[in-house]
Amino acid sequence: MKYLRLFLCLVVLSLTACMSHVFIDTTTRLQVENKTDVTILGLDIISEDGTSVQPWIRDAIEPGEKSRVVEEDWVGTFKVRVRFDKWNGETKKLSYYCATFTYTTPPIRVYNTLAKQGEPTVFEKDVNGCGLEENVHMVYSETDLDFEGGSQYLIVSKDEDGNVAFKLK
Amino acid sequence: MKIKKVFLLLSMAAGFAFADPIPAEALTQGGLQMRDRQLQDIGLVMRGGRGGYIDIGYTYTPSSEQLQLKSKYGVHDGFAFRHHYGIFGSWVLDSISHLGFLTWYERAGWDSQDFFFFPHYGDFAHISSVLTWGFSYTNTKLDATVALGLQHQNLEKAGWRAYPDESDSLLFYWGHARYKNVSFQGSFYRNTFQTLRFSLDLESRELYGGAKSGYKTYLPNLSATVYRRKDNDDDKNFVRLNWEQNLYKQTVYADVSYDFPKGGFHSATLKYFPDPSRLMGFEASCLRRNEIGGSRELLWGGAIDFFILRLAYNSAFDYDNMFRAKGTFIAEFHIDLGAFEGKFFGRGAAKAAPMETSNKTFDLNKFMKVRAEQQNLGNTKVDAQGNKVIEAKGIRYEKVDGSATQGGN
Repeated sequence: MKYLRLFLCLVVLSLTACMSHVFIDTTTRLQVENKTDVTILGLDIISEDGTSVQPWIRDAIEPGEKSRVVEEDWVGTFKVRVRFDKWNGETKKLSYYCATFTYTTPPIRVYNTLAKQGEPTVFEKDVNGCGLEENVHMVYSETDLDFEGGSQYLIVSKDEDGNVAFKLK
Repeated sequence: MKIKKVFLLLSMAAGFAFADPIPAEALTQGGLQMRDRQLQDIGLVMRGGRGGYIDIGYTYTPSSEQLQLKSKYGVHDGFAFRHHYGIFGSWVLDSISHLGFLTWYERAGWDSQDFFFFPHYGDFAHISSVLTWGFSYTNTKLDATVALGLQHQNLEKAGWRAYPDESDSLLFYWGHARYKNVSFQGSFYRNTFQTLRFSLDLESRELYGGAKSGYKTYLPNLSATVYRRKDNDDDKNFVRLNWEQNLYKQTVYADVSYDFPKGGFHSATLKYFPDPSRLMGFEASCLRRNEIGGSRELLWGGAIDFFILRLAYNSAFDYDNMFRAKGTFIAEFHIDLGAFEGKFFGRGAAKAAPMETSNKTFDLNKFMKVRAEQQNLGNTKVDAQGNKVIEAKGIRYEKVDGSATQGGN
C-alpha cells in the first residue's frame, strides 16, 4: 500500500513534469483585427532597445479587416509595434539624423520609448541615416502586451482622442 | 503526511513565488560553470579515490512563470532546468592499487516546455550539456590518486532569435592529482588552461582513516582556483579562494568564497548536517551579486536537503548553478550517495552514515524457537563414569566410496 502511494505520486509528478504542454500553451496564435480607418502594414515584436525587430504579422490589413492567424513562440510580455501607412490624427514627430564623430565610433542610435500618459501614442518617425537603408519614414505605435499563449485576438482601434487603442482577447 | 507537506510547499512555490527572470547571458555563459562544478565534484570523490559514488539529480520547477527568460525582446514563459548525473566506480587491482572510471553528465538550459528526456526545442530554447569522463588510479600505500580524462561541451539548441552564435561542441581535457590531503586539478582547452585548482584538505576525516574528533578535525579546507576569463579579447583571469571550516563536531560548517583581484567577497554559507555523513542538511547562505551598473546587493537564502529532495530559496549554490535564479523556490529531486569500504556517505562527508544493525521487529514464534535451540545446545548429560555425553540430532550418514563417486554416478 505504501509503495502504491509512492508509485502514484511518482506518476503524478512525471506527468506534470513532462506533460505540462497539455495544459500550458507554449505558442501564441495571433490574429489582428483592424478597426481603425487606416491600413495596418504589419505587426512586429521589437527589442527593448529598439535595435532588433522580429516581424510577426506581415499582412497588410485594410480598415475593417482581419489578418491571417500566425503562430509564433511568443508567450510572455513583449513590446509590440504596429505599423500604419499613415495616421489621421495627431502624431508625435520623431526626427533623427545619424551622426558619426570618428571612424571608430559607431553611429549613435536614438532609442524609442513608449509615449507618456496623455501624449499621442502614434509616432511618425523620420530617420535621415548614414546610409540609404537608414532613411526611414514610419508611422507606428508601440505597446507592451502580455501574451498568455493559445489563440489570441488583438483589436487595434482608434479611441475618442484620436489615439491608438489595443485590446487583446 | 510528509509527502503531502512537500506538495503543499511546491504548490505554494508555484502559486505566489514569481522570480526575477533569468537573463539570456546566464544561459550562454553556463558552460564554464557546468564544467567547473563537475570537476569540483570529481575532486571531492577523489579524496578517497576508490569505492563508488552516484549522484542523480533533476531540478523541478512546476510553473512556467517561475523561471522566465529575459531576452532582449521581453520576458518569456517557460522552464529552466538542470538534469545531471555523476557515477564513479572502482576495481581493486591488487592489495594497494585501485582503478576507477568516472562519468559526469549534465544537461541544462531553458525551454518553453519542461521535459524528462525529449525537449520541445522552442524558438527561445537554449540547451547545452557537458560530459566529463576519465580514469583514476589510486595507490593506498602512498595515499595518492591520479585521474585524467576529457570534457565535452555540446550545444544542443540555441534559438537564433535570442542568442549569439556559439561553437556547437568543444573538447576540453582535465587532470587531477592528489597526494595525501594536497590536490591539484586543471582543465585545458587546446594549449590554454581553463581552470587551475589547488586544494589543501587539512581537515581530518574518519571516513578516510583520519581522526574521529579532536583539533585535527577543526583544520580548514582551503582551495584556490584560477579561472580563465576573456573580456573583449583581454585576459581577465581571476582567482577564487574558498575556505570550508568545521565549526562544531563536523556537523556545522562555514564555507566562504572570495574573489581576487577584483570582486571581493562572493558568498558565505553556513551548513548544518544533523549527522556528519551529510545525507541530510540545512543551509543558510549570503551571496553578493553584481547588478547592472556596478551596484551590489546581498542575496540571503537557504536550503533544506532531505536526502532525496532539496528545497532551496535564493541559496548561493542555486544562484550560481541555476542561471542566477532568485526569488523562487527551487526543488531538486536527487540521490547523492558515496560508498567506501562498505560504508555510505553523502557528498563531501567526513564520516560514514551509521548503519542499521539491530532488528527491531519482534517475532514471538521465532524468538521461542531460537531460545529452545539454545537450550538444546547446552543440554549435555553426564553418564555413570562422569563423561559428558552429547546427544546428536539429525546425524547425516555419508557413504564414502571412492569408486562409486568417480565418473559422476
